Amino acid sequence: MHAVRTAWRITRLNIRAQMEYRVEFLLNIAIGAIWQVSVIVFATVLLARFSGMGGWDSSEVLLIPATRMLAHGLFVLFLGRMHGIGRFVQEGKIDIYLVRPLPVHRQVQLEYFPTNAIGDLTVAAGLMAGALGRSHLDWTAGRVTYLVVCLIGGMLLEAALFTAVACASLRFPAAGYWGRWLEELLGTFGSYPLNVLPKAVGGLLTFGLPLAFVAYFPAAVLTGHGHDTGVPYWLAAASPLLGVLAYLAARLLWRWSLDHYTGVNG
Amino acid sequence: MSGSIEVRGLSRAFRSTVRRPGFAGALRSLIDPERVTKYAVSDITFDVAPGELLALLGPNGAGKSTTIKILTGILTPTAGEARVAGVVPYQERERNARNIGAVFGQRTQLWWDLPVRESFAILRDIYEVPRAEHAARLREFDDLLELSAFWDTRVRHLSLGQRVRCDLAAALLHDPPVVFLDEPTIGMDVVVKEQVREFLRHQVEQRGRTVLLTTHDMTEVERLAERVVLVNHGRLVLDGTLDEIRRTYGSTWQVRVTLADAHAAVVPLPGIALLGRDGPRAVFGPDGSGAPTVHQALKAVIERYEVTDVAIDEADLEDVMRAAYVHAGPAVEEA
Repeated sequence: MHAVRTAWRITRLNIRAQMEYRVEFLLNIAIGAIWQVSVIVFATVLLARFSGMGGWDSSEVLLIPATRMLAHGLFVLFLGRMHGIGRFVQEGKIDIYLVRPLPVHRQVQLEYFPTNAIGDLTVAAGLMAGALGRSHLDWTAGRVTYLVVCLIGGMLLEAALFTAVACASLRFPAAGYWGRWLEELLGTFGSYPLNVLPKAVGGLLTFGLPLAFVAYFPAAVLTGHGHDTGVPYWLAAASPLLGVLAYLAARLLWRWSLDHYTGVNG
Repeated sequence: MSGSIEVRGLSRAFRSTVRRPGFAGALRSLIDPERVTKYAVSDITFDVAPGELLALLGPNGAGKSTTIKILTGILTPTAGEARVAGVVPYQERERNARNIGAVFGQRTQLWWDLPVRESFAILRDIYEVPRAEHAARLREFDDLLELSAFWDTRVRHLSLGQRVRCDLAAALLHDPPVVFLDEPTIGMDVVVKEQVREFLRHQVEQRGRTVLLTTHDMTEVERLAERVVLVNHGRLVLDGTLDEIRRTYGSTWQVRVTLADAHAAVVPLPGIALLGRDGPRAVFGPDGSGAPTVHQALKAVIERYEVTDVAIDEADLEDVMRAAYVHAGPAVEEA
C-alpha cells in the first residue's frame, strides 16, 4: 500500500510538473496522436476501399490495429519508460536508482509521466470504439473479458520485448536503436492479419518476434478465425498467457542484468 | 546502529577490448578482438570507524569511484567482501540503501522538473520518515545550507552550488549513519565549498555520521579528514593520517633559523639533518624515513638552540599527493 501511495504521489507531481509547461504538454499529447497517423490512414483506407483482407471482413480487420494500439497505449502509460534505459545509464541515473530503497524498475517507470500516452490512448480508444461499433459479433461478457485480458497480455508482451532491449541497453547503451527498430516493426506489421503476408514472414512474426500474439491471434480468436492462423487454436487463444510468461521472463532477465550492471565506466 | 565500513580484499575486474592503432587495427579488433581483464580495484582492505571521516584519495582512474559504487550497492565485486553498517551492500541493496546517503557531485538524485521541496517530500515518502522528523531535519539543514532561499525552485533552474547543497540535504534527510560523497564540491565557488565543508564537519562531529569522501581538493582534505586512504591503479597505497602521508611522500620541509650566537656549534638532531650553515643562519631538513613532522622538528630545534628568528618551508598537501601518485606502482592487468 505504501508503495502504491508513493508511486501515485510521484506520478501526480510529475503530471503537475509537465502541465506547468503548457505548450510542451500539449505538443507531447499531439505527437502521441500524430505518431499513430499510419494506423489511422490504414483504417480509413481499409474501410473506404476494401471489403476485407485475407478472408476477414474490414470490421474484423479493424479489431487488430485497435487491440494493438490500445495495448501499446497501456504499455506506454504504465511500462513504457524502458525505452530510455540507454540514456539513463549514460546520465548515471541507474546509479542513483540503485542507492534508493526502491526497485530500480519502478523508479524507471516513475522517472517522468509519459504525456504522449494520452495521445496514443485517445486515438486507440477511438479506433477501438469504431471497431466495436462496426463489429457484427455478439459482445458477450465472456468476449469482453477475453478482449480486456488480451489487451493486458498485449501490453505485457510489448513490455517484455522492450524490457529485453533495455537489459541489453544496461550493458550497451547503443542497443536502444534496436528498440526503435522494434517499435517501427510493431507499428508496420501490427495492423494486418498476418495470413496476408508470405508464410516465412508470418512465421518470423510469430515465432521469431512474437508480434502475432499481441493482437492478431486475440482478434482471430474473438472473430472466429482462430483455427486459420497457422498455429494450434489453443496456442492462439493462450496469447494473453504468453504475454504474462514473457513479461515474467523479461523481469528475471532484468534482475540478472542489474546484478551484472557495470555502470557508465564499466 | 553502528555506522562502520569494513572492506576486505575487495577487487573488481572489468573485461575490455584492447584498442589497436589505425583503421586497420580497428578492423582487426572487430574481427579478432583481443580481450583483457583490468582491475579497477584490486585487493583493497580498510576500515572506517563509526563517526569517522575518511578521505579516499587517488588520481583519476585510481579506483575510488568503483570502490564507492561497490560500497553503495551499485556494483558487485569480483572478489573480497564489504560491509556497510553491518550490511553487505551488493547482496542486500535496498536494506543498505536505507543505511546510507550518497552524493555524486556530477549527478543529482533530485527530480529535474520538480521544485526541490517536492523532491524532499518524495524522498520522505520513499524512506518512510515521519513528517515531524522530516520537518525538523529540513529546518536544521536550512540553517546550515541556506536552502529555503531556493527550495521552491525547480531543480533544472538551480546553479551547481545550490543543486549540490540540495543533494547533500536529500542524501541525509532519512538520517543515515553512513554517507558516501564522491567529489561533492567539484566546480563550486570557494564560499559554497566552505559552507559545504562546515555542513560535513557538523554531520560528523555533532551527528556522529561516518563519512567516506573522495575529492581532488586537498584543502578539503586538510580541513575535513584526519585519516586518508590512498589508492592508485586500483591498489591501496597507504592508509594513515595526513602526517604519515607527509612523512612518507612529502618530507620536503625545511626549518630555517637565525642563531643568537653566530659561532655556536650546530650538530644534527635525531631525524633532523643540518642541510646548511652560513654564519648565524642554519637550515635543517628531514633525515631518513623516521624524520619528525615539521612542527616536531621546529620544537626540537628551538629547544636545543637559542634562536632569534625562524622560518618554515613545507611542501603543501598537493605536492605531497603528487609525489605519492607518481610513486605508486603500475596498473593491475592480465590477459
